[in-house]
Amino acid sequence: MSDGHPVEELAAYALGSLEREEYVRVEAHVLNCAFCEARLREYRGVIGALPVSLAPVPPPSEAWEAIRAHARKPQVRKKRWARPVLLPNWLRLARWPAVAAALAALLFWNVTLQRELVRRSPGPAPGPEVEALSRRPGRIVILTGTGQPGASARIFLAVDGGGHLAVSGLATLPRGRTYQLWFERTGSPAASGATFGVDAHGRAWVKVAVPATLNDVQAIVITDEPASGSATPTGVHILDALPWR
Amino acid sequence: MKRGPSADPRAEEPVDPELLRRMRLGDETALEALYDRYGGLVFTLALRIVGDPELAREVLQDTFLRSWNGRETYDPGRGRVPWWLMGIARNRAVDLLRSRPHQARLREQEPLPPGTPAGELRHTGASDTVVLRQTVIEALDGLSGSQREAIELAYYGGLTQVEIARHLGQPLGTIKSRIREGMERLRTRLETLIKPTGAGRHHE
Repeated sequence: MSDGHPVEELAAYALGSLEREEYVRVEAHVLNCAFCEARLREYRGVIGALPVSLAPVPPPSEAWEAIRAHARKPQVRKKRWARPVLLPNWLRLARWPAVAAALAALLFWNVTLQRELVRRSPGPAPGPEVEALSRRPGRIVILTGTGQPGASARIFLAVDGGGHLAVSGLATLPRGRTYQLWFERTGSPAASGATFGVDAHGRAWVKVAVPATLNDVQAIVITDEPASGSATPTGVHILDALPWR
Repeated sequence: MKRGPSADPRAEEPVDPELLRRMRLGDETALEALYDRYGGLVFTLALRIVGDPELAREVLQDTFLRSWNGRETYDPGRGRVPWWLMGIARNRAVDLLRSRPHQARLREQEPLPPGTPAGELRHTGASDTVVLRQTVIEALDGLSGSQREAIELAYYGGLTQVEIARHLGQPLGTIKSRIREGMERLRTRLETLIKPTGAGRHHE
């Protein structure tokens, strides 16, 4: 650390070779420091140039066709109106109360759903903090997978950035191991959301650290890691949501 | 259409931002052009990390599909397009590497996979690419062997500094110094290559 800047760790941060705690600390600093952000951009330039030194190997000729075939699969896109919709006068007057009523109904549904999830969810009873989280507006992501048959998890992501995770059916890990939740991102290292163990019934309720932005999150996964947690995922995906959006 | 083995990351502007703009509009030919520019480089990197042509092809395909599906999320402020692509490819390759621990830990000590000699590059701008490659090789040659080893274990091996120290049987502080000093030396030697040109950057 020099003059408050983690210049000594920046290169390792760019290489993705910091341990988890250091990584989190440097990331938090870089987000608010123009100097370190600029230096980090230069280190990323260095790293981006490294592969150029390798003896080039032409890619398989069929690779592009496979990419094109997958890229052509239809994606669900939002339908856009071709022109503004003109409402009758009475409907114009009524639309804001209608919108308010719809929002209220949505909020009521959300709170009801979350309470029901809390009531039905397996595992230790959630504490007041988790229960409060569950009442905020947001969405639920279901994680499934073949890593442990019968296991599943739900993540509730609140719109204001909080979140919690409910897990069932996971095997109890041996001493020295922990489960770890990850937000895998495009172009940057995966962000750790939580480390947790499960009770004797394979259940857990934990609070989740949600990244500041979810725009670049490509997948949400749970892996098996050393007890202290890892800086990047090292185990196989036990549960995941792919693609998660 | 040619499928060049590598491209010059310096030559991306303004071509690459324009390709990304067209990709956002759903122009598939822009993705193909991006693949032509960087497909070889991505495959070479992936092969160096995972050491298996089939897995490397998986990384290559996944990288360009992710770039297509995530074309709205590319942030020019975080770096140029090839760096973005290399970041996706490297992370994906390291994920694969780490999911195969029985293969992974020895990979970084193995020789580089056989490749096409630089003199056989056949695509537009090949001479520029050869010069660029020579520049990067000379910069790497300017490192001490131990600095280069630590940086390559981190980048191609996907190891943390703690893991590198354990792997090499060296104190953690020594590994940190090697990486820091080596990267700083590379940053200085490659300054003209990595300095931002201003185009495509939006928060300075």
